[in-house]
Amino acid sequence: MAESSLPDAFFDLNPYLEWALPSEHARRAKRASTSMSEIRAFYDAMLERMEAVLSFLEKYPADDPPADVELLFLLATALAEIAPAVEMYGEQTADGMDVLRLKPVDIYPQRLSREL
Amino acid sequence: MSARAKQAPAKIWHDDYPQLGTGPLPIEPYISEQHFERERDKIFRKVWLNVGRVEQIPQAGDYFVKPLEICRTSILVARDDDGEVRAFHNMCSHRGNRLVWDDKGSSRGFVCKYHGWTYRADGSLQAITDEKRFFDLDKSCLGLTPVHVGIWEGFIYVNVDPEPVESLEDFLGEVGQSFAGYPFAELATACFSWQVEVKANWKVGKDAFQEVYHISSLHGRSTGRMFASPANPFLNVHEAALFDPHARISVPANLDWKPHPVEDLAKRFGILTLQKQGISSAGMPPVVNPTNSPDWSFSGFNCFPNTSIFVSEGGFLTHTFWPLAVDRTLWETRIYFPKAKTMAERFSQEYSRSTFLDGVMAEDGGIFEATQSMLASGAKTEFYLSDEELLIRHHHKIIADYLNA
Ligand code: FES
Ligand SMILES: [Fe+2]
Repeated sequence: MAESSLPDAFFDLNPYLEWALPSEHARRAKRASTSMSEIRAFYDAMLERMEAVLSFLEKYPADDPPADVELLFLLATALAEIAPAVEMYGEQTADGMDVLRLKPVDIYPQRLSREL
Repeated sequence: MSARAKQAPAKIWHDDYPQLGTGPLPIEPYISEQHFERERDKIFRKVWLNVGRVEQIPQAGDYFVKPLEICRTSILVARDDDGEVRAFHNMCSHRGNRLVWDDKGSSRGFVCKYHGWTYRADGSLQAITDEKRFFDLDKSCLGLTPVHVGIWEGFIYVNVDPEPVESLEDFLGEVGQSFAGYPFAELATACFSWQVEVKANWKVGKDAFQEVYHISSLHGRSTGRMFASPANPFLNVHEAALFDPHARISVPANLDWKPHPVEDLAKRFGILTLQKQGISSAGMPPVVNPTNSPDWSFSGFNCFPNTSIFVSEGGFLTHTFWPLAVDRTLWETRIYFPKAKTMAERFSQEYSRSTFLDGVMAEDGGIFEATQSMLASGAKTEFYLSDEELLIRHHHKIIADYLNA
C-alpha cells in the first residue's frame, strides 16, 4: 500500500496513511495500540472530510477500484474501525472479549471484495 | 411511542406455557461433563444441525468441510454434477484418513493424501491405487459414507443419525414454515463471518441470543441504543412464542435513536441490517414482524439446538454454537447482506461490521467467558429467569426432554 497515494483531491489526508491498513485484524491491532488522543486526532481529521470522501467513493463500483480509490476506501474503513472507540466507548476497546481473537472467515467461493 | 407502552398490564409470556413453570433452573447442565456427553449422544448425534448456506457451494464440484467435533466427525458437503447438495463423513474408505483437509474449494473429485484413492463429487469411489493388489473389492460399495442432508430456505442441515427420527421439514415444523418466503437468497449475496473459540459451555452462548433483556445493560453504550427506548427501557419483546423444540422472538426498535456522526454517514450511504432507522417488514412474511409493530427491528428464529437466525429488513444473520467440550465452544457468526454496489456502500457495510465486532462479538463474548468461569465455581447452583427469558427456560426443558427420551 505504501507505494500508492490518495486521489489528488484528498492529499490533505496523506499524513494519516498509516491507518490505511488492508485487514480487519491490522486495523483492530492499530486501534488497540494507539492512544485515545491520537485516535481522536485521526477521527476529527477524517470526519471533516467524510462527506467529500463518500461522495467521491460513491462514483466507483464496488469491485476492482483503482489503487488510489482503494487506498481512500481503506482510510475511510479505518475510520469505521475506530469510530466505536470515539463515539461509543471513549476508550480504545470495550470491556469484553479481545476481537483480535476472532478469525474472519470468507465462506463463499469467490473472495468477497475485501481483505480479511 | 411503542404500542406496548400503552398496554397495561403487559402480557405475561409464561402464562401461555404453564407447563414450563416459573422456578429457578439448575446450573449443572453447564458444567457437568456427564451432562455434556449425554447432550452429544442424545441431541447432537440425533437432530438436524445447521451447517451453512447453499450459496457457499453454488456450482457443481464446490464443497466445504464442516468439522463436527460434537458428533466426533468431519462432514464434507459437496454439490455433485447433477447440482444436488450431498453430505458425507469426510473419511476415506481405505484406512480411514480424513479425506479433504481444506475448509472449502472446488474440485471434480477428491483424492486421499494417504494412498491416493479417488472419489467423485457424488461420493462414489472412482479409483483405487494399484487396485490389482487388493482382494475381492466391490468399488460400488466403497463410496464415502453419506450423511443425511436437508435444505430449508437455502440453509443446509445435516443429521448424522443413520436413521433420523424425522425429516428436516418435520423437525422445523410450523415455525420453519412461518419463515418461508423471507428473501434469504436475495439477501445472501455477501457475508461477513467470524469464528472464535470461547471458554464457555455452548448454552451460555446460545442463551445470550435467546433473550434481549441484556441489551439495555450489556450493550447500553453500543448497539443497545438502537433498540431500548424511553418508552421501553428494558426492551420487553413484541412477541415470544414457542414451537417445540424451537422458538421465536420479535424485538422492538428505538425509533428515536440518534446516530453518532460516523454512524449517521454510514447510514446515509447504505448501512447493513439492524442499524437502519425505521426498519420495515413490508413485503416480508407476516411472521417476520408478527405483531405488525411500527417499532420493530428484528425477529429471531431460535433453531434447536445450537443456531439462532435473526431476520430484519435488508439482511439476516446467524449465530451457531458448536460444542467442543463442556466448557469450550466454537462460536460462528455470519452476517448476510446484499453485495455493495459502490465503494461508498462498502464503507457503510464496513462500519456495520465494525460496530458489530464491538457491540456484539466483544461485549457478548466477554460475558460468555466471565459467566462460565463463575458457573464452574459451584458457588451457586441455580439461575433465576424473568418472563423475558422464557426461551431459555424452554430450551432447558427441551434439552431435558431429549436427554430423558
Ligand atoms: S487411507 Fe485413504 S487411500 Fe489409504
Ligand atoms: Fe448481546
